[in-house]
Amino acid sequence: MLNGIFDKFFGPKKASKDTAKKRLKFTLVYDKLEVSDDILKELQRDIVNVISKYFEIDKDSLKLNIKKSEDSSSLELNTPILSARRLSPASSHGVMTGSR
Amino acid sequence: MEGKIFVVTSGKGGVGKTTATASIGAAMAMEGKRVAVVDMDIGLRNLDVIMGLENRIVFNVVDAVKGKCKVRQAAIKDRRIDNLFLIPASQSDNKDALTPEGVIRLSKTLRKEFDVVLMDCPAGIERGFENAVAAADEAVVICTPEVSSVRDADRVIGLLYSKSITPKLVINRINPYLVERGDMLSHDDVMEVLSVELLGLVEMDDQVIVSSNIGIPLVMNKDSKAGQAFKRIAMRLNGNSDLPIEIPQYGNGFWRKFSQKIGLSKPRRIHA
Repeated sequence: MLNGIFDKFFGPKKASKDTAKKRLKFTLVYDKLEVSDDILKELQRDIVNVISKYFEIDKDSLKLNIKKSEDSSSLELNTPILSARRLSPASSHGVMTGSR
Repeated sequence: MEGKIFVVTSGKGGVGKTTATASIGAAMAMEGKRVAVVDMDIGLRNLDVIMGLENRIVFNVVDAVKGKCKVRQAAIKDRRIDNLFLIPASQSDNKDALTPEGVIRLSKTLRKEFDVVLMDCPAGIERGFENAVAAADEAVVICTPEVSSVRDADRVIGLLYSKSITPKLVINRINPYLVERGDMLSHDDVMEVLSVELLGLVEMDDQVIVSSNIGIPLVMNKDSKAGQAFKRIAMRLNGNSDLPIEIPQYGNGFWRKFSQKIGLSKPRRIHA
């Protein structure tokens, strides 16, 4: 009640719970973006398989990582292409299953 | 009719899981249900002390799962409240002494012998958590209005949903003075962040310590605001979901009503 009067006359002061809420929201968003190394490795393997359908790539120099910035996260993939595969989609499917 | 199994969990330790389990269990038994509270914190048992039954332990939950005794033998009867039973944790084993399969087997018997079973889950989200939630139909998640606790609650709520268990939230240790002053997250702030149904709000209460000192169930203490809040939580869990959730208040009623009249603060009572 006294706080209410105070706020009416002087404008609300900065409450520590506002900071708490901001930090909480930020933490929850970031927690959900966290990926384990195992999942990242699995993702990398899948991506290599898919790309290999269409391009010949240097599998060992493929780099995959998650870049975090203030308000967003992005998945970065960097791979040198050696050559494009000149195959029809049907037969490239064969390459895919063959390499598994 | 088969009994229902609730797990009381939180992720973070020290937020009041054990007190909540003991209080909700006692309140449900006082309403006439046949209740078993099970301490699933193997190796670090505490529910026995909170309930004042520590010197009556013969068998424990690990014995019951391993078939060394009957469920009835492991269940200690509370002498003050009819129909309230404690199945204590083992103090000498570690969390690997139980498996989710073992707990599910035990639960079949528990459902037959009791109307309500409350599993007091250990802190963390590892083996002990997996064991405690294995047979649960519903979950009560406890958190306090702090960043760390709400964050862990969010994680646990996610895990429970992934196991198709519906969680309900109890916000514990609310300090209405700090909330009023803007120095504690309000229940609205917490609910805005978590996607879960609210089950009850419990005020910070010295009587919790007093009750645990003497080993008397909190809900038997009529002066305890927390005890009364847990009673209402038990009623809501029992299917009395129309019961409004009371919001812990700071200061006396007159000034609050007066300031609501002149528009300085909002009325505080919510219907779920």
